[in-house]
Amino acid sequence: MPIFAKCRRNSGLNNHGFLRYRSSMTLSSSPSKRSFLCRSAVLLLAMMVGCALTSDDRKIQPIVYSHKSHIENAGLTCTDCHSSVQTLAAASIPNLEVCRNCHSESLSESPEEAKLLKYVAKAAEVPWERVYKVPDHVYFSHRRHVVAGRLECEVCHGNVQQFTMPVSLPEIPVTMENCMSCHRKHNVTNDCLSCHR
Amino acid sequence: MPKWAMVIDLDRCTGCGACNVACKMENNVPIVDPDEAQNGRAMFWMDMVATYEGEFPHTEAKHVPKPCFHCDDPPCTKVCPVGATYRNPEGLVGQIYHRCIGCRYCMAACPFTAKVYNWYDPKWIDGAQVANPDVSQRMVGVVEKCSFCAHRLQKVKETADVEGREIQENEYVPACMENCPADAIVFGDIDNRNSKVSRLSRSYRVFRYMDDLGVKPKVYYLARRTSS
Ligand code: HEC
Ligand code: HEC
Ligand code: HEC
Ligand code: HEC
Ligand code: HEC
Repeated sequence: MPIFAKCRRNSGLNNHGFLRYRSSMTLSSSPSKRSFLCRSAVLLLAMMVGCALTSDDRKIQPIVYSHKSHIENAGLTCTDCHSSVQTLAAASIPNLEVCRNCHSESLSESPEEAKLLKYVAKAAEVPWERVYKVPDHVYFSHRRHVVAGRLECEVCHGNVQQFTMPVSLPEIPVTMENCMSCHRKHNVTNDCLSCHR
Repeated sequence: MPKWAMVIDLDRCTGCGACNVACKMENNVPIVDPDEAQNGRAMFWMDMVATYEGEFPHTEAKHVPKPCFHCDDPPCTKVCPVGATYRNPEGLVGQIYHRCIGCRYCMAACPFTAKVYNWYDPKWIDGAQVANPDVSQRMVGVVEKCSFCAHRLQKVKETADVEGREIQENEYVPACMENCPADAIVFGDIDNRNSKVSRLSRSYRVFRYMDDLGVKPKVYYLARRTSS
């Protein structure tokens, strides 16, 4: 077993996955951005009291899409839009076709919906930013976790049905330590070859 | 727990090279320029070792397909200073590229020269090769080798688990076996005595390369004549 002892130690390098992630956020903010932040500090303070994460790692989505209104008011479930979450590795982000089913004409006064209608008129896909992403050398499968593992989306993605703003930061950062610690809890294998490829 | 092994029947193998090509395409193994290949930097996970015997015109060519042997007692894993290569519980010898520091000790330790080193970042010849998204592309400075197409096992396992059953024989098939027109390659669980690999590995024709080293390769060869 010396190899496995070694491997365990390697993964220990990633023990501070979350901490590393947070500190990298502050390190990656460039000087120019910092001075910009200083200048707009008053504004920021006024607008974002209590919002600790004013980080540049936040993804700006092209449309302020609300999960809450679609699940509570439009009565949709996760699989209506993320259609392959139970059948494939990737959950998939819905394409314009899905939105057009309902948004072929205006349903509300919202300026954000007007933006969507512009995409619909142009028949151009909305350029959503991906928030959760594993690198290409890791195999992550939703089918495995949602169907075989019977995990709820909340465990990894947070309480999405209450989100009125688009997803912009990962609830749980996608790090090896976060994958492995849940696997340890559920007694699932942490063999390198089960995730890496 | 299954133990994956391969049998290559040299009496069936015609040396056509379909396995080499299939492996390159499946695993995103870069195509090296001819000049660099001349310098011994050609990259194969499934290699074709050709030997010629006899005096012209009575020459006889022997072709031996050579993947990684996934030894049960692998010498390469013992010398790795960072644990990037290891033997997993199912008998696959893994190579975790992002952990690899490129010291190439494992290449020196491997008696079968099954491992190759990335001298360059992968280069793709336009149109000739499209990267397979199921396999990561390796970067410059890491060692890589045949994985018995372990990325296929990840998917096969998942399907079997979702459907609540065991993995069937011939469900987990590496690309070389799938593409062999002569059916010379057989792959499966050698611990299951009824599997075809297990039966063939007990054939009277069986031999393993450098068996005296005691590294216990899990690639068995079948040949009526034993090769020297
Ligand atoms: C089942 C029908 C349906 C589908 C499919 C649908 N929507 Fe909506 N959408 C609605 C309804 C109903 C409202 C109005 C909700 C409200 O006023 O609370 C709405 C409102 C909106 C708004 C206005 C802001 C808000 O949330 O109230 C935006 C933006 C929006 N949708 C974007 C999208 C996008 C992008 C898609 C495609 C991924 C989509 N919708 C798919 C029914 C749908
Ligand atoms: C075990 C943790 C986990 C669970 C449970 C989970 N996800 Fe994910 N999700 C991830 C990870 C990790 C990624 C990044 C995957 C990638 O890059 O391929 C992701 C990505 C996504 C994406 C981005 C688009 C894509 O194609 O992958 C969507 C949408 C998504 N998840 C929706 C869901 C929904 C809906 C559920 C519940 C049915 C769910 N997820 C359950 C971990 C999880
Ligand atoms: C009306 C369609 C719709 C429904 C229903 C829906 N989503 Fe989404 N989801 C989207 C769109 C559009 C995006 C991209 C915009 C964003 O990031 O907020 C998205 C993004 C996400 C992401 C972020 C993916 C990434 O990596 O960028 C997660 C996680 C997610 N959804 C989970 C869920 C969960 C969980 C549910 C069910 C509770 C759900 N979604 C229901 C349309 C939908
Ligand atoms: C919230 C807990 C949780 C998190 C976080 C999680 N997993 Fe899992 N994972 C599970 C469970 C439970 C299973 C077992 C599913 C089953 O029964 O088949 C599993 C199974 C797997 C398997 C199959 C293992 C096998 O038996 O071969 C892989 C591969 C995997 N997860 C990859 C990942 C990756 C990559 C991540 C991080 C991006 C991740 N998981 C994060 C809970 C989790
Ligand atoms: C449960 C799934 C899982 C297992 C098991 C696993 N890894 Fe990982 N590994 C990941 C994920 C996800 C990442 C990407 C993390 C990130 O992007 O920050 C990763 C990243 C890495 C990296 C860092 C790559 C980089 O560029 O920083 C190394 C090295 C690594 N893994 C080695 C290993 C080794 C060695 C083992 C066996 C002991 C192993 N992993 C087992 C999921 C896994």
